[in-house]
Amino acid sequence: MKEFKIVFTGPPGAGKTTAIAALSDLPPVRTEARNTDATLGPTHITVAMDFGQVDLGRGQRARLFGAPGQARFEFMWRIVAADAAGVVILIDNTRADPLGEFVAYLDAYRDLLPQMTFVAGIVRSDVCRQPTVADYVEQLTARGLAFPVLEVDVRRRDDVQVMVDMLLTKAQSRS
Amino acid sequence: MKERLAPAPFFVASRPDSAPADHALRIVQALLVDLDGAAAILVASTDGFELAHGGRLRSDPARLAAMASSLAALGDTASRETGIGPPRCLVIESNDGRLVVRGMQLRGKPVIVVVLTSHDLLIGRVWNSLAAAEARLGE
Repeated sequence: MKEFKIVFTGPPGAGKTTAIAALSDLPPVRTEARNTDATLGPTHITVAMDFGQVDLGRGQRARLFGAPGQARFEFMWRIVAADAAGVVILIDNTRADPLGEFVAYLDAYRDLLPQMTFVAGIVRSDVCRQPTVADYVEQLTARGLAFPVLEVDVRRRDDVQVMVDMLLTKAQSRS
Repeated sequence: MKERLAPAPFFVASRPDSAPADHALRIVQALLVDLDGAAAILVASTDGFELAHGGRLRSDPARLAAMASSLAALGDTASRETGIGPPRCLVIESNDGRLVVRGMQLRGKPVIVVVLTSHDLLIGRVWNSLAAAEARLGE
């Protein structure tokens, strides 16, 4: 069995835990705590990591790790990302400054960007049309980066699967 | 951490708008008095915010609060996954000291208490003091 590690990261409430639950073959392992920050929407937040796994067929399996969203858990981002084949950055388009959050995550993972495969999933773009996928791509281009940016519904298994497939295809072509 | 550190006579309560902060400060004060030799005590919310701390903390209390939250959650999840019931305590035993992490109820709210000590302080004493503090101040 060939195994790959995929990491889901992004701001609080972007849907990392939901994405892993949607794709995982097994009930995901969660480390949630009740949210006491009134400025955030979710009633519970991930404080360490989520974990799930999915059989990809052809003797391949992906292990899915979710990182906590809040900046105070930044120390976990590096721990969770170690040895990953790829990273999914999820951004909630209904937040006040989704492009700013996207850029903040690009900066946070700056030193991993050249060595790992990334894909960005924009969620709730049906609720809030701005910024567009082109706006996100423009941010990547301005930094000399290029990776796929997709509009996704992380509640849908197929949408999450597409992101993981893209990551693994690209990761395998690099190895 | 090898030297025996006396508690420093200062305490900081964070998020003063937060109701548990006053109670957290009382836990910190009580434990620093009870655990002569503890270098520092920190109380955090389960979602990783610092509520109060005291003593000689060499790391950023906000950062340690977030780490305590992650550690406690991982301990809780690992305990549930392995069927050994709710965790009572997590201990990080290092060369020059130890961190004891315990979840407790503080006025009906779950919090995490971190005790940073040298090896001079017996671990059993830390456990007893934490249990006594919860019984005395937790309700």
